[in-house]
Amino acid sequence: MELSFDRLTKHYGHKIAVDRVSATLTPGVYGLLGANGAGKTTLMRMLCAILEPTSGEVFWDGEEVTGMGAAYRNVLGYLPQDFGYYPNYTAEEFLSYIATLKGMPRDMAQRRIRELLGTVGLLDAARRKLRTFSGGMKQRVGIAQALLNDPQVLILDEPTSGLDPKERVHLRNLLADYAGERIVILSTHIVSDVEAIADQVLVMKNGRFILQGAVPELVRQAEGKVWELAVPEDRARAWEARVTVANFRHEGERVVLRIISDQRPAEQAVPCRATMEDLYLYHFGEEA
Amino acid sequence: MGLFALEHKKLWRKTSVRVSVLLCFVYMVVFCGALSYQWFEFGSSNDVTSAFGNNFDGYAMIRSYQASADGYGGYLTDESFQRMVRDIQADDDKGIYRELKDNRSAVNDYLTQLYPELRETDNAYSILMEYYVDSSKLTGFYERRQAAVEEFLHLQGQGTGAEGEMLRAMNEKVEEPFRFGWTSGWQNVLGDTLPDMGVIMALFLAIVLSPTFSGEWHSNTAPLLLTMDRGWRHLALAKILSGLAFAVELFALLAVGSIAAQLVYLGTDGWDMPIQVIKLLAVAPMNMLQAEIFEYAFALLGAIGFAGVVMLLSALVKSNVLALLLSLAAAYGPMMIAQYLPYGLQKALDLIPLVGSGADIFRTNTFHIFGKYIWSPYLLITVPVLIGLACVPFAIMKWSRRQRV
Repeated sequence: MELSFDRLTKHYGHKIAVDRVSATLTPGVYGLLGANGAGKTTLMRMLCAILEPTSGEVFWDGEEVTGMGAAYRNVLGYLPQDFGYYPNYTAEEFLSYIATLKGMPRDMAQRRIRELLGTVGLLDAARRKLRTFSGGMKQRVGIAQALLNDPQVLILDEPTSGLDPKERVHLRNLLADYAGERIVILSTHIVSDVEAIADQVLVMKNGRFILQGAVPELVRQAEGKVWELAVPEDRARAWEARVTVANFRHEGERVVLRIISDQRPAEQAVPCRATMEDLYLYHFGEEA
Repeated sequence: MGLFALEHKKLWRKTSVRVSVLLCFVYMVVFCGALSYQWFEFGSSNDVTSAFGNNFDGYAMIRSYQASADGYGGYLTDESFQRMVRDIQADDDKGIYRELKDNRSAVNDYLTQLYPELRETDNAYSILMEYYVDSSKLTGFYERRQAAVEEFLHLQGQGTGAEGEMLRAMNEKVEEPFRFGWTSGWQNVLGDTLPDMGVIMALFLAIVLSPTFSGEWHSNTAPLLLTMDRGWRHLALAKILSGLAFAVELFALLAVGSIAAQLVYLGTDGWDMPIQVIKLLAVAPMNMLQAEIFEYAFALLGAIGFAGVVMLLSALVKSNVLALLLSLAAAYGPMMIAQYLPYGLQKALDLIPLVGSGADIFRTNTFHIFGKYIWSPYLLITVPVLIGLACVPFAIMKWSRRQRV
């Protein structure tokens, strides 16, 4: 089982949204990390074969996906960003509709729908109209529909947006359980989600992968670039204007700044252990 | 089939669809049907400045008009026509007001078109010939009609050649003497209400069906649907079929309601009268029932054709508003600009679904195609539905492919 893409490129007029990205994905959870506008959604739509690349190709087990048509869509589960729904449908009806579109036999679909509604904690709300759902509940319906056909490739675009912390943890656990022998790609700009469940991280900036690798491996790249510096309260803002500050922590009269910088920012600054968020800020400091 | 049922259910679930259907039904069946019969078309005159000033007694008035018309032997002959004119004048002498709908309008039409020499131009009520013509001079009704048809064809430039022959051959099949009864009811149904049906349906079909495909982009469900096994051709076909089914259902709802109102108020009296009794110079050998069937068929096939066009437009754009505007422009644009175009182009535009009129059966319009003359209703009933069906594969193809933007 292998999903690969080779020099995948997408231009919108003169704007380059995705610029010759290549990767080979085998079973596991992949976190696609990047700021808004980095090209994550465009890349995901090309991987789902709904958006035509300007150049480059996507392969599923060595076969070009455009030629596979429905056979590729059969192995795919997708949750788009800003997941759209039909407000007059109940959760159960909506999932039945999606199951029909996925070509699932009726009996099997009904069993799977009940099971997934239970998994995402919506069994009690199964017969409520979607228009009455909160943002988090709708997102959970979106996740359930993506999992309906037990896809081998699961592509989730910002799956944790709109979820409260408890729901996010629940989703992370669900995906970790689900992944197994499947390929799960999730895009997000919430670093802690990626850090918690991704086996591999692909960091996108200006349409290109600027970093690829496992979390500990990537975090190591930020080692030596993270510092803590205690400064008087009235100087904190001045520091923020000069360097990338990951965190402010008040300690009595002083503020402890977590600074991302290649150089020691001041004599008193002390090096500290890097995290994935520090790495993210190192690369996207000016955009974050 | 399952997908079609789900799409169909989804369509009917929308509040905008239910409200549109309700408004369309209220306008066509309640307003143009029941209220029109009972009140502002056939209610007795009260305030002559407005039809809405009529009395709410249409049902009784219609019964009396029908009873009155039935008293002339069931056929339009010189004798029965003379008697009608004499009766109108006798009523006038007695100071009894005869409603225009009480066949007075039909009698006036016949007099104006067939006996123009009897018109008194110096009479203050010159146009109201039924009040003053000498009824004994009203002879040779069918000879005069024949001459009037010939003159009309000549004036239209259709009097000679293959076109003239074709139209004359049609006219020869019109049976004489005409079956005759009360005409105003049929005039209302065939001349006013049914030709309007297509115009009204176009508005509501555009509102309901323009989001068929564009709506999936509007609600951001398209990226999801297009990643599914049956989200391409199967889904597009299911959407198209449910759109076409909706057009048929809307038509059926309006037709059943309108026919029910017609049966309640007008009954079936006069179904076998030729259409010439309401449009004297028409050449089509059709009776009222046949004409009504034609006009309903025209509306149904036009609605199916228009639905196909609207859904293609919906597949071509991703904006609901643009899809709606384009759909409205497809029907109403040609109607608005037709009068500024050459005659040939006007006739061509009539072939666009729901742009032409089912009332063309009362006219002598023809199309000249590959050296052959074809009476326009034959094409007006077939071409629009073919245009709509031809749009279907393009709509499916447009939806069923990867997006470029």
